[in-house]
Amino acid sequence: MIDIKQLKILANENRKKIIRMIHSANAGHPGGALSVIDILTAIYELDVDLNSKKRSKVVLSKGHAVAAQYAILCSKGIIKEEELDTFRKINSRLQGHPSTITIPEVDATTGLLGQGLSVAVGIALAKRNKEENEHVYAIVGDGEMQEGQIWESLLQTAHYKLNNLILIIDYNKLSSYDNVNESMNLEPLHEKIKAFNFHTIEIDGNNMEQIVEALKEAYETKDKPTAIICNTIKGKGVSFMENNPKWHSGGISDEEYEIAKKDLEKIEEELTK
Amino acid sequence: MNYEMICLRDKIGEYLCEFAENDERIYVLDSDLAKSTKTLEFQKKFPKRFVETGIAEGSAMSIASGLALEGQIPFYVNFAIFVAGTAWTQLRQAAYGNLNVKMIGTYAGMDNGKDGASHHANEDLTLIRSIPSVKILVPSNYKEMKEAIKLAIEYNGPVYIRVCRDIVPNVEFEQEAQFGKAVVVEDNGDDFALIYEGTAAKVAFEGYEALKEKGYNGKLINIFSVKPIDVELINELSSKVKGIVTVENHSIIGGLGGAIAGILAQKSSHAKLAYVGVPDVFTESGSATDVKEKYGLNVDNIVTKVEEVIK
Repeated sequence: MIDIKQLKILANENRKKIIRMIHSANAGHPGGALSVIDILTAIYELDVDLNSKKRSKVVLSKGHAVAAQYAILCSKGIIKEEELDTFRKINSRLQGHPSTITIPEVDATTGLLGQGLSVAVGIALAKRNKEENEHVYAIVGDGEMQEGQIWESLLQTAHYKLNNLILIIDYNKLSSYDNVNESMNLEPLHEKIKAFNFHTIEIDGNNMEQIVEALKEAYETKDKPTAIICNTIKGKGVSFMENNPKWHSGGISDEEYEIAKKDLEKIEEELTK
Repeated sequence: MNYEMICLRDKIGEYLCEFAENDERIYVLDSDLAKSTKTLEFQKKFPKRFVETGIAEGSAMSIASGLALEGQIPFYVNFAIFVAGTAWTQLRQAAYGNLNVKMIGTYAGMDNGKDGASHHANEDLTLIRSIPSVKILVPSNYKEMKEAIKLAIEYNGPVYIRVCRDIVPNVEFEQEAQFGKAVVVEDNGDDFALIYEGTAAKVAFEGYEALKEKGYNGKLINIFSVKPIDVELINELSSKVKGIVTVENHSIIGGLGGAIAGILAQKSSHAKLAYVGVPDVFTESGSATDVKEKYGLNVDNIVTKVEEVIK
C-alpha cells in the first residue's frame, strides 16, 4: 500500500496539475481545488479502484473544485496530460464542473451546490441493498453548507444510518464572498453535525497523517455515517493564494504561474529530500 | 359515447408494484405523500426499495439520481408542483447527466382544486419541456398509464409522467402507447382537430360531443407524448383541418398549446390555432370542477374556440 510520504508527493503533483489547468484555461477555482486535494488524493489512492466496476465512488459536490478531480484522474491515466490544457475550453471533455456525460469516472454530475450529499445518499442506499461493501464519499464545501438541501440530506443520511457514506467537509473558511462565517455563520459546525447523528471527526485537512487516520476511523465506524470536518487552507501550497479570498475563482497569469510552480517545486524538494 | 369515469392516480402504486415484482431495479421515492399518491402499497410490498425522504423534494430528486447512478430505476412520485417546481434544478441536473430517473407528477393542473393556486400545477409541462433530454408522457386511461410506466422502464433516460387526480373517461385505445405518437380517438371529418393532454380528457370528450351535436365534424386527438411530440400528425392536421384547438389542464403558456404552436409557426401556411387552458393568471380554491369551469377549461370555451378558428 502507498505510504504517507508517497501520498504527500502525489498530492503535490496533483497541485501542479491543478495550477497548470487553471493557468491554461485562464479560469477556474484554484483556492478550493488546492484546499481539498490532499484528502481527495488519499481517498482515491486508498479506496477507489477505477478499474473495478463495483467500487467506491466520489461525489464532488463542491463541483467547482473539479480541477482537483481531473488532476487525480490524469494521474490514473483516464485523462491525458496534454488534455489538461483543454480545461474549460470549447469541445473539451474537461467541463467547468463534473459531468458524467464527458467523463463517466467523475461518478456524478455536480456543480449546483447543495445537491451532492443527496446523490451520495442514493448511491449509498443502492449499494446497501445490493450488499456491496464499498463506500461513497460526498465532498462538500463549507460555503455549500449554507444550502438548505445539505441539511435535508444530513437528516436522510443519519436517518438511514448510512455507514457506507463518508461526508467530507472542506472547511477552508472562505467562500466566493469572503469569510464564510461572516456571510452566514456555520458555527458551531462540529456540534451541529454531531447532533445530526454523524460520527464526527475533525482534522487538519492538509495533514496527510491525520487524513489517513480519519479515513481508517471512518471505515471502522459501523453504527452511523461518518463526517470528517477538514480544516484546510484555501489555496494551500501556493504562497500568494493561501487564505486569500481573491483566489476562490479566476485565471492565473503567466507570471503568477511561474511563482506557483516554484512554490510547488520547493515543496517537492522538501518531500523528496 | 358512454364510459365510466376513473382516476388514474388510484393505480400508481398498484402498477409500480406489478413492474417491481419482476424487476429488482425499480425503486419508489416519496416525500410524505404516499397516502395521497397511492404508493403506500409499494412501501408495504418492497420496503427496502421504498425511500421515504421526508418533506424534502429537492433532496429526493437528487437521491433518485444517486440510485440511478448505481443502475437502479427510481420513480419519484409526488404532486406535479413539487416534482416539476420545487425540485426543478435537481431534475435538470439528473437530465444533464442523462440519468435513468423517472418522475410521476400527479395532482396535475387544477386537479387539487380545493388546496388552491399554491398547489395547482399549471406550469409543469412548460418547466419540464424546457429541459433537454426529458421525455414527457400524459396517459389518459389505465391501459395507457400502465404502458407509459412500461415505456419509462424500458427507456434508459429521464421520463416524466403526468397523472391526473381528477376523473377521466376510461376509454381505452387499441394502439399501444409509444414515445412521440398521438392517438386519433375519433375522426368524423376535417372541420377541426381537438388535441388534448390526458388529464384534460374529460372536458375534451365533452367538448367534442357538444361540437358534434352542433353539426361540426372533426377529430379528437389524445397527444399522449408531449415530448417528443407527434410532429408528423400535427403537420398533417395543419394542412387538412380548418382549425386546431388544444385542450390542457395547464397554463396556455408553454404547455401543449405552446408545443403545437411551435410546430405550426414554422410552416408557411397552417390551420388556425387556439388554446383552451388556464390563461396567464393564478387560480383559486374550489372543487376541481368549479376551478376548471371558472379558469377556462370548460365545454363552452372549447366550442367557442373551435367556432372561432374554423370561421
